[in-house]
Amino acid sequence: MEAKVLDSWVLAEFATPDILVDATNQMREKGYQGMDTYSPYPLHGGSEALGLPPSRVPFIALGGGLTGMCTALAMQTWMNTIDYPLNIGGRPLLSLPAWIPITFELSVLFAAFGIFFGLLGLSRLPQPYHVAFESEAFRSASTHGYWLGVPFAAGTDSSETMNQLKALGATQVTIVTGEKE
Amino acid sequence: MSSATSTATEPMGRFAGSSKMGLAFGVGAVCLIAALAGFFVGDASAAAHSYLIAFAYWVGISVASTIMLAIFHTAKAKWPIVLRRTMETMGATVPVFIVLFVGVVLGLKQLYSWWPESPLAAHIEGIEKVHLGHKQHGYLFPTFFWVRQAIYFTVWTLVSWRLRSWSMKQDETGELELTVKQRKFAPGALPFLALTITFAAFDWLMSLTPLWQSTIYGAYYFAGSFLAAFCLLTVVTVLAQGKDLYGSVVTTAHYHNLGKLMFAFTAFWAYIGFSQFLLVWIANLPEEAPWYGIRIFGAWRPLSIALVLLHFVLPFFTLLSRNLKLQPRKLMVVALYLLLMHWLDLYWLVWPAMTGKAGPSFHWTLPVAFVGVGGIAVGFALMLARNKFTLPVKDPYITESMRYVQP
Repeated sequence: MEAKVLDSWVLAEFATPDILVDATNQMREKGYQGMDTYSPYPLHGGSEALGLPPSRVPFIALGGGLTGMCTALAMQTWMNTIDYPLNIGGRPLLSLPAWIPITFELSVLFAAFGIFFGLLGLSRLPQPYHVAFESEAFRSASTHGYWLGVPFAAGTDSSETMNQLKALGATQVTIVTGEKE
Repeated sequence: MSSATSTATEPMGRFAGSSKMGLAFGVGAVCLIAALAGFFVGDASAAAHSYLIAFAYWVGISVASTIMLAIFHTAKAKWPIVLRRTMETMGATVPVFIVLFVGVVLGLKQLYSWWPESPLAAHIEGIEKVHLGHKQHGYLFPTFFWVRQAIYFTVWTLVSWRLRSWSMKQDETGELELTVKQRKFAPGALPFLALTITFAAFDWLMSLTPLWQSTIYGAYYFAGSFLAAFCLLTVVTVLAQGKDLYGSVVTTAHYHNLGKLMFAFTAFWAYIGFSQFLLVWIANLPEEAPWYGIRIFGAWRPLSIALVLLHFVLPFFTLLSRNLKLQPRKLMVVALYLLLMHWLDLYWLVWPAMTGKAGPSFHWTLPVAFVGVGGIAVGFALMLARNKFTLPVKDPYITESMRYVQP
């Protein structure tokens, strides 16, 4: 019953990023899944340690870029040949060279949108609530703490997980339980 | 990471030399003699233009390597230090081009209508003759031409050999001051390198059609050469496997960066090429348009479209792949392909000046001159590398460079 509405995590803080990445690697090898790392800045080797699959952001960016390119070409074709045809210095109405700059700019813009919003979406941000926020000590993750979160089914015994994290060098280990996102 | 650190502790010996050096010199010399025979016995104009393409191709890569080296010094970059000796060697081959320039000098009359008593000037009449006269008075005349050539080769030789000799000295002494010297000298040299390669492009290539000018032309030649230099650096690095060769300590992260730079400068080449084209196309002025007119209409049209697709669109989308850039062998294939495209680019710049509306044609001196100049240049580079370390072994940042990971 509880597991359906509640989410429980073991949170462990580590002294340095290297120890955190090392511990994450070992926990993954032991078979723990769904873990997440938290640090004030990008963590070297963090995604490899978590065993994350390759990012899908590049494909979203490519899709955005191609969409931008098609939008720009379609827009200019429609405007210059159908909506408001103008003879400029005797050039053909459909003058591709003159449209390249706008096509380029729009491709870049849409690719950038793809990256920005794609990344936000894939990381499920913004996230106003997460179970980890129930822990007061966890605030250090945004200033100087390096944390590893290990999820477990609410109501089950997590002492084994906690012991292993301590053995891997965690400076503090706590359990948080809260509503599911 | 750990493997790179362990290789660092293994003693890296000096490059014993390559048996291919003799081969490169031999094949190069035979081809050069054949091209010379083609010039004196066969079609002198075709041979001169073929030779110019080959010369501009190889010397461009050499000078672009020096510029690349100077930029990395200016940025105080640490990651490319394992690759640096190759850049230094490629840049330091420039003196051999002073000798190879004789081939261009022989063909001056066949190449440039502005050269005194050139038979090509017969086709220039009326107001164009007056315009050409102005240019011949102010810039395009022999004395000034010789002075400029002397300046180019002096600057290139001086900068490349200065940087290389400090770097080599550090292999022996390990003095930290030598690093400081290189990093102070390089930024000061950059403006001179930029100006000389720009004006060299004007003199050798743009003045083939002396009544046409484009201020970005030098940047266009540089963009192609710079891309080719990264490609050649990649090929050499992939092939430099074996005892005492630096290829074994180069990591995936380095190849990834080389791939990214190839990608970036593929786009840069297209950007510069388009910038030049758009301004000429949109202004459509009588004295500017014919240069493109001859290339984008008529017999040259298919090649011009092919150049955009094969030199930009295809490699751009190929190099987008992250996976490809992490695989040295595949990256080398792309690099070799782009090196071929750079040749096509120079052919597209030079050949229309000769054949005009008749369109693209093949002449046997095209590959022969290319292999001739290339063979001598590669042979000379291998000679420079002989008995030297293939990477700056005592550079203070060398271990950092070998441990490089993606930031």
